[in-house]
Amino acid sequence: MKLNKKIFPILSMLLLFFIVCMPDVLFASESKKKKQINCDIQNQQCVQPILNGSIVFDIQPKPVKAMKDLTFEVKVKDINLTGSPIIDLSMPGMKMGKNKVKMKMIVKGVYQGTGIIVRCPSGKTIWQATINLSGIGSANFIFDVIY
Amino acid sequence: MYIFADTLFWVFLTTGFTVGFGHCIGMCGPIVISMSLNLKTGNTVWPHVLYHTGRVSTYCLLGGIMGVTGSFTMVTSQIALIQKIVLIFAGVLIIFMGVLMSPWLTNFSCFKTGTGVQTFFSKAFSLLVGLKPTLAYFPLGLILGLLPCGPVYTVLIASARAGMEAPDIYTGFINGMVLMLAFGIGTIPALSLVGRLAGVGGIKQRQMIYKAASIIMIGVGIYFVIKGIQY
Repeated sequence: MKLNKKIFPILSMLLLFFIVCMPDVLFASESKKKKQINCDIQNQQCVQPILNGSIVFDIQPKPVKAMKDLTFEVKVKDINLTGSPIIDLSMPGMKMGKNKVKMKMIVKGVYQGTGIIVRCPSGKTIWQATINLSGIGSANFIFDVIY
Repeated sequence: MYIFADTLFWVFLTTGFTVGFGHCIGMCGPIVISMSLNLKTGNTVWPHVLYHTGRVSTYCLLGGIMGVTGSFTMVTSQIALIQKIVLIFAGVLIIFMGVLMSPWLTNFSCFKTGTGVQTFFSKAFSLLVGLKPTLAYFPLGLILGLLPCGPVYTVLIASARAGMEAPDIYTGFINGMVLMLAFGIGTIPALSLVGRLAGVGGIKQRQMIYKAASIIMIGVGIYFVIKGIQY
């Protein structure tokens, strides 16, 4: 009982400290996140090598804005997929729940799907699209979104 | 086909649980802690139960609307201004609580009993959170359920999709509502734990917590207000 009386205030203080630090712990500094960006999606489509081929990722319309209906496109070159890719949208270093974009094949090697990038009240704009290619692996595109 | 038995229900229940510990503590944690620290006497369980019931009820309503319309962007664009106001309101609420808890600030003459500022804060506080009976925490939860939140948006997208795939509007409403219900229930353990930790301890320990918490709350409240203005 005495132990509880000592532990709970300490835990409470730690919890309060954690919450105060939450914006920095969860959202990290914007400059650090900016360094992670590997895709200039606002201006062009993005390309990454995968296996012996490549994967091209694009979002339309531009500028790419949060809370809008967006069309996601994935093109694969020199890769044979066994199924349509699935895109997982997330924020680096933050749990935002499952936000998946299901793709449909438009022509051979070209897949499209519609989805929405949500807005985070923290104001952070760095998002990540993990493109899962069935039986092959995945590619991460980290980009900036306009709120 | 209703979604109750669907794996999606369990997926979003789990999502709510995990996101609750990682994300909701940051957003809703300060509000729950403020509530706990201000519940000095009496039943401290029911206010939390009612607050979460109100919050999850709003989630369910939003999920149902998403399910009926099948359009996330249409609904969120309609409620964007309300959410902005709610975010600012939450910040102001936390600042009020922080000021009223503060043993230092209340020593200043402007906060002493009978002064204009104290009366204003007291009245505002009574209106916002100190309402009797305890039932007042239900509408507070209803309002704060509208706080803009990334994970909530994510589940609302799923609710809209569930509505689009439903054979009729009624099923769409139920499916959208159930997904948000699952998510909302999932977030309760994390926030309840936060509230519990902040609310326990003896009077002396609580006094120590008040001192630190009051300053922290004011800071967090200001952060909320700034984010609300920017939103």
